[in-house]
Amino acid sequence: MTTRHPGTPLRDAVAAFSGTLGRLTDQSREKYQNPYTALTWPDSVNPEADWFFSPELTSLHGTGHEAALDDRQRHRLAFHEAANFFSLNIHGEKSLMEGLASRLYRSDLMEISDYLHHFLDEENKHSVYFGGFCRRYARLYRSRHVSVADGGGDRAVADFLFFAKALLFEEHADRYNIVQGRDERLHGLARFINQAHHADESRHLAFNRAIVKALWQAHSPAWDAGQRADIAARIGQFFAMTWREYYNPDVYADCGFADPWQVAEDAWGHPAQRARRRDFSAKCLRFFQSNDMLEELPADVF
Amino acid sequence: MSSEVDELRAWITSRARDLPPGGLTDDLPLLAGRHLTSLQIPELILLLERLRRSPIDVERLGAGDFQDVATIAARFLGADTDAAR
Repeated sequence: MTTRHPGTPLRDAVAAFSGTLGRLTDQSREKYQNPYTALTWPDSVNPEADWFFSPELTSLHGTGHEAALDDRQRHRLAFHEAANFFSLNIHGEKSLMEGLASRLYRSDLMEISDYLHHFLDEENKHSVYFGGFCRRYARLYRSRHVSVADGGGDRAVADFLFFAKALLFEEHADRYNIVQGRDERLHGLARFINQAHHADESRHLAFNRAIVKALWQAHSPAWDAGQRADIAARIGQFFAMTWREYYNPDVYADCGFADPWQVAEDAWGHPAQRARRRDFSAKCLRFFQSNDMLEELPADVF
Repeated sequence: MSSEVDELRAWITSRARDLPPGGLTDDLPLLAGRHLTSLQIPELILLLERLRRSPIDVERLGAGDFQDVATIAARFLGADTDAAR
């Protein structure tokens, strides 16, 4: 029979990072931004002349498919990759906002409610930028997520997985934002959106790590081996799901590839792309593994 | 179409958790039996689109469309399996 131990009460675990919460809340108020005035949208853009996505970050970089493209086509691929990156962020943030809103003012999460207001507000503003780009110049790529409630009825597990997923999703997107925010080859619009996203995400990342640790400390001692294995498996699935979205056949179809699904498979399995996924996921993997939340790496991803 | 269904079965077998001792059957409840999770559906849809070589309208889908191999094969690949007959 498995012995279960009481964890740190959630209220105490949250109180332990109240200083961080206060600091993040203050910063959000100081850096409050109006997305409708912070950016002037050009009437049109030239996807075949300007870079909208760092060419080394495209999902075909290092593959034979990229090598077969001429300069104009490489610019076009980068443009569609930018639209896909912004689209996957819109879909991710939509799901994130739903989860944040449902946790606002919940009695056991009251202490984080002030910050959740900023988190929600900032995610909504990011989507204004992403949606503005996709709808003006490109298109919003579809999500392949299907709404299925399969997490079981345990609220503590659902809370932990929700914030773990948010952490993972945002840490990966932030790596792209950091690199592209500094890339002087990029069109000013693409650089601005990446920089603006990173400016807020740096606070979200700090919050995500703190709340995920607090929820783990509060709840995991009561979880049995089966529940822990299930949670670890789902974290592994988050990695696969998150990364797969960066290899979108719809992008390859827009670039004129005859078999876009095969291009996606080829790119997913290419060693250069695996190496980038390992590199971009390293920090996130270390977090989950060092806190005993994940034991085995999801092999297909890395 | 049977090779596509075989590839579907192989994909599910490689990712499903806690399959029964007899292995995957075409009528095994995949989501309700917690062998697959909703997090794996986007990757499954990518596989199905590749096998049928056309996009799937995801906005209209629900859990019932992924009930078991027989349902998935009939719904997305236009293939009858023994379990569906």
